[in-house]
Parts: sequence; structure tokens; C-alpha cells
Amino acid sequence: MALMTAEIEIAFTVNGIPRVVRVEPRRTLADVLRNDLELTGTKLGCEHGVCGACAVLLDGEPIRSCLLFAAQIPGRAVTTVEGIAAPDGELHPVQEGFWESTSFQCGFCAAGFTVVGAALVDRGGEPTDEEIRHVLSGNLCRCTGYASIVEGVRAGLRIAAERADA
Amino acid sequence: MKAAPFTYHRPGSLDDAVDLLGSLGTEVKVISGGQSLVPLMNLRAVRPEHLVDVGALDALHGVSRRDDGTIVIGALTTYREVELSETIAAACPVLAEAARWIGHEPIRTRGTVGGNLAHADPAAELPAIMVLLDAEIVAVSSRGTRVVPATAFLLSFFTTALEPDEILTEIRIPPPASDSGWGFAEVSRRPGDLALVGAAALVERETDGEEQRIGSARVVTFGVSPTPTRAIAAEALAAGRQPGSQLWNEMAAAAVSDLEPFGDLHASAAYRAHVARALVARVLAEAVGRWPS
Amino acid sequence: MTDVTGTRVKRAEDHRLVTGRSRFADDVTMPNLLHAAFVRSPYAHARIDAIDTAPALAMPGVEAVFTGADLAAAMEPLVLQPVEGLLAPAFYPLATDRARFHGEPIVMVIASSRAAAEDAAEAVVMELEPLPTVVDAEEAIAPDAPLLFAECGTNEMYRNVSTYGDTAAAFAKADRVITERFVQHRYAQQPLEAHGCVSTFDPSSGELTHQSSHQGPHMLRLGLSFLLRLPLHNVRVLCGDVGGSFGSKGHWQREEIAAAFAAIHLGRSVKWIADRSESLHAGGQTREETVDVEAAVLDDGTLLGLRVKLSLDQGAYACVPYPTIVFPLLARALMPSAYRITDFDFEFVVACTNKAPYLAYRGPWEIETWVRERTLDVIAATLGIDPVEIRRKNLWDDSELPRPLTTGAATLRDLTVRECLDEAVAAVGYEAFRDEQAAARENGRYLGIGFSCFIEPAPQPIFGIGFDFVRTETASAQLEPDGSLTIFTSQAPHGQGHETTIAQVCADRIGLPMDKVRVVHGDTRLSPFTNLGTGASRAATMATGAALGATQIIKDRVLRIAGHLLGCDPDDLVIENGIVRSSANAEAQIPLMHVALVAYTTPFTLPDDFETGLRTTYTFDHEGGWAQACHCCVVDVDIATGKVAIERYIVAENCGKPIHPAIVDGQITGGVAQGIGAVLLERSAYDGDGQYLAGTFMDYLLPTALDVPFVEIVHIVHETDDPIPWRGVGEGGGIGSPAALTNAIEDALRPFGAAVREQHLPPFRILELAGVIE
Repeated sequence: MALMTAEIEIAFTVNGIPRVVRVEPRRTLADVLRNDLELTGTKLGCEHGVCGACAVLLDGEPIRSCLLFAAQIPGRAVTTVEGIAAPDGELHPVQEGFWESTSFQCGFCAAGFTVVGAALVDRGGEPTDEEIRHVLSGNLCRCTGYASIVEGVRAGLRIAAERADA
Repeated sequence: MKAAPFTYHRPGSLDDAVDLLGSLGTEVKVISGGQSLVPLMNLRAVRPEHLVDVGALDALHGVSRRDDGTIVIGALTTYREVELSETIAAACPVLAEAARWIGHEPIRTRGTVGGNLAHADPAAELPAIMVLLDAEIVAVSSRGTRVVPATAFLLSFFTTALEPDEILTEIRIPPPASDSGWGFAEVSRRPGDLALVGAAALVERETDGEEQRIGSARVVTFGVSPTPTRAIAAEALAAGRQPGSQLWNEMAAAAVSDLEPFGDLHASAAYRAHVARALVARVLAEAVGRWPS
Repeated sequence: MTDVTGTRVKRAEDHRLVTGRSRFADDVTMPNLLHAAFVRSPYAHARIDAIDTAPALAMPGVEAVFTGADLAAAMEPLVLQPVEGLLAPAFYPLATDRARFHGEPIVMVIASSRAAAEDAAEAVVMELEPLPTVVDAEEAIAPDAPLLFAECGTNEMYRNVSTYGDTAAAFAKADRVITERFVQHRYAQQPLEAHGCVSTFDPSSGELTHQSSHQGPHMLRLGLSFLLRLPLHNVRVLCGDVGGSFGSKGHWQREEIAAAFAAIHLGRSVKWIADRSESLHAGGQTREETVDVEAAVLDDGTLLGLRVKLSLDQGAYACVPYPTIVFPLLARALMPSAYRITDFDFEFVVACTNKAPYLAYRGPWEIETWVRERTLDVIAATLGIDPVEIRRKNLWDDSELPRPLTTGAATLRDLTVRECLDEAVAAVGYEAFRDEQAAARENGRYLGIGFSCFIEPAPQPIFGIGFDFVRTETASAQLEPDGSLTIFTSQAPHGQGHETTIAQVCADRIGLPMDKVRVVHGDTRLSPFTNLGTGASRAATMATGAALGATQIIKDRVLRIAGHLLGCDPDDLVIENGIVRSSANAEAQIPLMHVALVAYTTPFTLPDDFETGLRTTYTFDHEGGWAQACHCCVVDVDIATGKVAIERYIVAENCGKPIHPAIVDGQITGGVAQGIGAVLLERSAYDGDGQYLAGTFMDYLLPTALDVPFVEIVHIVHETDDPIPWRGVGEGGGIGSPAALTNAIEDALRPFGAAVREQHLPPFRILELAGVIE
């Protein structure tokens, strides 16, 4: 019979702000973000690490927040979709790019793609459509068939370059 | 799908981890990257009473090359680190290639070599490469240190020789043959999925004057049988022979005749056998194609 | 100010979606929220002998545990409206005496967290006696099949035979009859957001507020009221952001009704979110149909008549509230499509089996296109006729239209299917492709090309299928005191972008910038009634027509008032960018806001016969129309591995004028992706004992960005004087794609004599069909 276990204290940074939570160790990072920190932007689509809707950045790298327990990352820095735009609200180039390109339909996948897309755009370079699709293939979308999302990433790269030139 | 409750431990040193595992009994799991374990826990297919998180054991991280050429990979090294490691690219590039096929980047950022080997999915790439390279797995417990050859470590579907109180600490890959080439091929339902069938080869060249022959060949298949399988009978056919499609076809037939492929939702046994044969021939040809010029 | 209708404006929805401010069902929280988890049947068929909930009740955090008996004592059963000849045994959200599919909910645990509820669910003890199972529709209606519902005495829930024209005469004239059986497998809608709700009952007011991921809030409201015996005026349904549906959220989902039951009986808020495993097991599946076709043909390729028998496997339980027979009735109505098929027999059977319920999926009549287009290709190959030519030969000419559908009740008019076919053929470079294909075969490379042509009701309110309940659409418009416009639509968008498209057309009509028009949806307290919601490719015509009608009424009132205030003839007035101005006198102008303020605050200063209320409701009627397309797919089949690469995918389509071109393209591309998924990746697989096998996303495979090619879309738009020139396009992408892709695969494998008569073609199946493996 499963009995709940004692809570533990976990301290880590979320979107630049230090946070401390007291939760059962079985709480995934996704659940802690969504329920204990009320950052519901990160979505749960499968909880087995396939759909990518739960993407967050861990020390700047995209990971699946459903696939780790919050206890595993003491002292680490997490960035959620809520932290992709600048603190003053200026959208990240990929967010502007998605908006400009009508990339999304229902939007349930949008947060995951925004996190992964932001990392891809920040990496820079001149990726081909095939290379973009390769990176995006780790996130599922059921509505769009992906072309509009690829277009949005492309627009994000263009906007990032324009901002850099400005 | 929320995991069943467990008591969480995060030892700060290998000694602490070993002591802990020695005292917690058998209802214990070690977690490193969690990319294979957490889905199973979320599904409640796996429900340890104790979870020992080895993520703080920095000593188990990293890739190095010993003076004798042995490549040592710490168990906590991630797939992404393997993919990008210059040491591995120089010494055993087939390992770096195999790592590229694992899932997607977010998985490769977290998943670890040690976790992958301990999980022993028959369709996984890294266990196959360890078998190909005659790697040794080092496991530590309160009873001491064991060094287990990869073929003896991987016992069956999701079953290894690792005891419940042991931690996999590192993988040692013998120095590679200098004059050799490698090949890797995998067929999966979608890019990034576990393999339906995969094969990898390492072919050493023997130069006899103007002629280039095969010195020795190693071939492994994965995704076909309960563990990755060295095609011993096939390998025996290769020594001293001229490379070419006739030899590859002989070897591929021999490789498959030794296998007992399984069928599942994604592919029939007949499919796995047929494609394994094609991939064995393909990776042998690729390996020779990579002989240094 | 230039019109925004027809342009790629930035969507009103997107800012919140990309910044993480979206609010889907699981993002909703309430004070003292409770969580539901279900104990589900491990067997496909079992007698429930005993349930012991005491161990679960004793677990930490558990508030209550409910069984089917608890629900049966205090609610109405889920039952369809009676349809003559249709067997629809009643059932409750939780199984009572029998479980009939693997994953059926039996016990509901309510606890302080989802994890605690799942812990407690494991503690429930059930005594289940496994029963014989039946997992095939044909076997289910054979004698001695295990019966799912003893009271029915059969697993055949419905049978219908219909004849049109004179097939006996047609078949007598035939040079040959081509007979085939086509098997469409079971797959699933699987939107990325699964079912979910937060249901709150306030004992002090007696109100149930039910927040849901759903596409038909009014339909759900009616269900909650009726089933849970609450007065309708005490039930409010709220749909916020909904993460896709594709038809799976347009009915009464059992667990949701159960969660609402718990909320009422506990006087609390109860959240139920289906996890992916639940969704795959019990969230609905679809498309499982087997069709036997006899096609009477002349050797010159003329199709004389069709005899069709369709068997639909509905799973264990009917979809409620609308009956599953709607789908084969639609398939019957549409199978002749735009082709000259007037002699036509159609028989269908609906059988129940020990599987999850069959629910609607994007174009739930798609089987008709797959079977017809595959049959045309089989006929073409048999007779040695080019597949493009056989379609040209058999499609209605423009000169032969308008004419009624072969099955009656709707009219084929304004079709451009021939033009779509021509455009697709041109876009793919058909002649050059055949040369390329021949050369590739010499080199052991197997390229193939497939076409499919179809028409899609977009919308077609009158269908003669007996379910004409979506004939009209109602919307409300309100000019606010600040001169902005609010539209209340009955639509329940879940990706269609209605907050944008309805705003585009209404902004242009009223003369405001788009950001001054807000579209409100999803709240049954605010949105006009509809018993469907969003679906059936209706919104582009019906929702916009209704919204424009309401907007026009407001505009007429505003112009009359403005005319009075300006001393101008209202007929001379226009509204641009929120300013009312006279085209006859440049100095006569007044902001819309001022007009609104007068109407709101000092209406008594206006003449008595003026209509000064700035909120109105309008019901729109329209005869509807057709959308149509030709899909063309080019594949490269790797004969070593059975993998299929899609080299090109072209859609030449006509859905009237586009309101937002990128939204149209997105609907088409998304539909095509689902067809590709169905053929190459997706199968809701059961074993012979009814154990469901594809219970995670590792086994139920959705297409990724590397599996879906860039879809090239050719838009055919003809000028029209219809003031509502936009037609639906939501379903077409999913309707045409399985046919185009399977036609291409068979074409690629022609050198091997492969006969593609099934829709699911994973790599091993490709090699089996090619005779490469056993």
C-alpha cells in the first residue's frame, strides 16, 4: 500500500527568482512549477517524456520537466515559458516570430515550442529547414502539421538578427 | 500519472552512496538522468521504496583518455556530452554517432551513459556499442569493485548483472585499433525513437603490400534480440578476406541465422530478421568506406 | 483604413499562448480543490462481483469514493434519444454490473491531490470475473458471439439498407464487376490536451459551474442538467482555452460527468484531468470500419454503379448524446461525391465490441473518400487506365450541375473538383513524374503517386440523414459605451482562431480596428445556444454570417443615431477607424464612442421611434456550400526497410474566400498530418483478448516535424456575390489524405503486385505487401 512520504525542502531558481518549496519528493519539476509555484505556462501532455509540452530550460538547456523530480535540481536555474520574454514584457524573437507567422492553432504545444524555439534561436547560426525540423521533432503538435512552426522559428531567427543589427 | 511514493536520498559522495545502497535492501533504485526511469515511475510500472539520486556525485562525470589509450567514461556523463566529446570522436567515433540517435536533445541533455546501460533496453544504442567495443562496466558496492565485460553485464530484456546494492561508476573502452573504420545504422518508426533494428560494425584493415584485406571485423545487432548480439559466426568469416558485397552478404546471413528475433506491435520477427540482415551488410560496407586513406 | 478580412493578421489568441498565460482546464484552480482518479477495468469484459472501497477511504487525503451503484442511485443514465431500430442500452459513467472494455472506469476516488487519489485507487479491491470477449465487428454479429448487453440479445446495434437509382440495371450493363474489401483500422483523435474539467458545486446557490476542455459547451450544459438532475438555469459551462479536440470532445465524457456528480454530492470543486494513458485507453477512438465494395464498370473506365456494405465497430458503448450512426449516414450521403454515381446501394451495420467507444474524428465520414478513391485506383489499374483520366471520366461536368446528391436532400452546386484535379496534376508535374518513376524503377527505387478528390460539406445543414439540428447559427453583438464592439459567438474554438477570424470580419463591417473588437466564447451564460458547438466545418460560413448579421443591426442603429446627431442622412454615413463621417459633408463627423454614450446615457434625447439598445442577437440561416480539394502525394518507398518517405504533398483546394490565409493553410496542413499519422504511424491496437496495447506515446505514435512534409497548397478562389463567401475547411485535410497516401504507396509497389486494401501501413506491412517478407 502506497503511503505518502515526508516532504523535503528544495531550493532552486525559477525565471531568475530564488524559490524554496516543501513537497513530497515524488513531485516532478513540472508539477512543482505548475502547482506549487503557480506557473501554469508549462503544460503536461504525456508525463512520459515524448510530447515535449513540458519543456523548460535547465541552466539554459531545454529539458523535459516531467522527467525529473524537483528534488534532483537543488541550486539549479530553471527558465519556464513565462521567463522567455524580457522582464519588461518585450517578446523574445521566437515569440514574435510565432505570432507573426500564425504558428499555432490550439496553442497547447506553444509553451514547449517557445522554450525549445528560444534556445534554438539564441544558438544562432543559419540552420536549414531540415535542421530546424530536426530540433523541433522532439515536440509534438497535433494541430498544425509543423510548417507554420518552422516558419515561426525562421521568423524568430530573422527578428533576432534584425535586433542585433539595430 | 503520478509516481508512487518513495523515500529520497541524495548522497554527497560515492562512499555515502555505496553505504546507502548497502543498507536499504532490495526495493531501491538508483536515479541519474531519469530519462528511462521516470517514465516508468510515472506509469507506476516501477515503484521503488527508496530512490538514490547519484546526481551530486561529480566524480562520476566526464570523459578521459588513459595513457594506454583506454577511454574512461564516467557513469554520469550525459548522451549529449558523449555526442560532443572530442576524446570520443577521436578514439571511438561510432560511440558519438550512436549517441546522436538517442531520442531528442532534451533527452540527451539529461540522460546518462550509466543509466542507459543499467536500463538495458534491447533497442537502445549505447549497450550495443559497448558490446561492439568490448567495453568493461565498473560497479562498486560495499563488497568492493567489480569489472564486468559488457557482454556479461547485459543479461536480457531490461536485466543486467548489476546487484541492487551496486552503483555503476564508469565504463572503460579498450584502446581502438588504429587502422579501422566504423559503421552504424538504425531503423526506427520515427527519428529519435528506439530502434526497430540496428547494427554497428568495426572493421580493422590488414595491408599486405598493395592489397587491403580485413584484419578482423566486429558486428553487433540490436533491437532484434533480448540483448545486443555480437555476430560471432559472421565475424569468423571475415578474417583475411577481401572486402566486398559478396562477403557482406555471407556475413549478414550468418549474423541473422544466430538471432532469435522477437515481434511486437511495431515490427514482426520476420521484419527484424530481414532488416537486420540488410543493416549488417550496410554497416560493414560503411566501415570499410571509412578506412583511413 | 484597409480591410483586414482576407489578410494574415496576427491572431488575437497568440500572445497569451506564447507567453504561458494560456488557461487550459488543468491550469484552472479553485479553493480547496479536490482531484479525481479512476479505478479502471483491467479486463476487456468482466462481471463486477464485488467492490471494497474501505481500504481506499482509509488512505490519507481521501475525501470520498464512488461506485457505479452510487451514481445509479442518484442520476439519470447516459442514454441516447430514441432512434428507430437503434439499440442503445443505457449505462452510467461508472460501470455497474459489468465492465465492457479495457480501461472502463469502475470506481472514482476523490482526494486532496491527484497523487493521493491514485494511491488510494490502488487500494480499492474489486472482484472481477473475466468474461469471453469479442474484438471484431464481424465476429460480434455472428451467432454465438459473446453478448455485451444481455438485454439486447445481440451485438448488432443497427442495420440499414438503402438503395438509390437502379443498381441491378447498372450491374447488368457492366463489362466487369470489381469486388474489394477495404479495412480501415482503429486509431484515435489524441489532441495534445486530453479531456479534463474542473467542476464546482456551490451548495448555497445550488449552482454547478463546470469548466471543461470541450467543443460544445451548450451540449455539455444540457447533459449535466439532465443527467445530474439540476435545473438548467443552475448549470453553467465554461470553456477557456481548449487544446484541440478533432471531435473527441463533442459528447458527454463519462469521467467528466462523474466528476461533476462528485462535486455536487460533496459541495466542492473537483478536478479531473485525463492523463495520457487514460486518454489512450478510454478517451475515445475512431475510424474502425470495414467496407465491401462492388463496382460495376465498363472497360473504358466508366463507373456505372456501386454496391457498398459498411461495418462500423463502435466499441462497447455508444457515443452520447448523438448516435454513432450519424457517421455512416454521412458516409452514405457523401460516397458518390462529385462523381457520376447515381445507381448506388449502401448497407451498413454498427456492431458493439469490447473496445473503447468510437467517437467522431475530423470528417467522421472519411471512409467514403478512402474507399471510393482507392476503388477508382483499383479500377484504373485493372483496366490499364491512368488514374487521373479515370477521375476526369467520372466526375460530373459543370454543365451537369446543379443537381441533387444521389442520396438526396442536398444539392451539388458550384463545384470545382475538376479544377482542383487539374491544378494538382499541373503542380506535381505529372507527365514528368511518370518518366522519373520509370527511370527510378530501373535503379531499384520505388516512387509512387496518388490522388484523391473529395467534396466536403462546409457547411451542409440539410442532409436528409435525419439530424438536421444545426441549420442556423445565432450570435450577439454589443457596442460598448467606449465605442468598442463585443461579439458573443456560440462557437467553442479549440484551434480554429475564431477570436481572430470573427473579429476580422466584424471589424471591417463596423469600421473599427481589429483590436477594438473582442470575441467572447465558451461561457454558456454569455454565448448564444447551439446544440453542436464548433465542428462540422460550419464556422466560416455560419458563425461569421451570424456575427455579421448582429453587427449590421448595431451598425444600422448607430448610423441612424449618428445621422440624427450630425443632422445628416444616415445613408451618407460611413464608419472608418471608429469615426462616423459623412461622405457628403467632410466636416460632419462624430466618434463612435460619442454615439454609444448618447445611446447608453441619454437615450431619451433621441426620437421615440429610434432603437437605442446597442446589444442585439441575430440568427443566421444559409443554404451552405461545399468545399473541395484534390490531394496529390508522391512517395519513395524504401524496399529494404519498408519506410515511406513523402517526397511531395500537394493540396489544390477551394473553400471559398479565406478569412485568414494562414489559418486556412494551417487547417489543411494539420489535417494532412493526421492522415499521414493514420497510415504510417497510428493504431489503437488491441490483442485478441481485448487488451489495449498502445497505452503510451511510445506505442501510439504521433507524427513529428520530420514525419510531415511541407504541404504545398494551391488555392482556387472564384469571385462570388454571396455576402458570406467563406466556407469551412477544417476537416478536408484529414479526409483526403489517407486516400492520396495509400494510393501513392500502392502505385510505388506496383512492380511487386502489392494490393493495398488496408489503411495502416507500418514498415513491416509494406514489406509483407511487397512480398519481401512473410
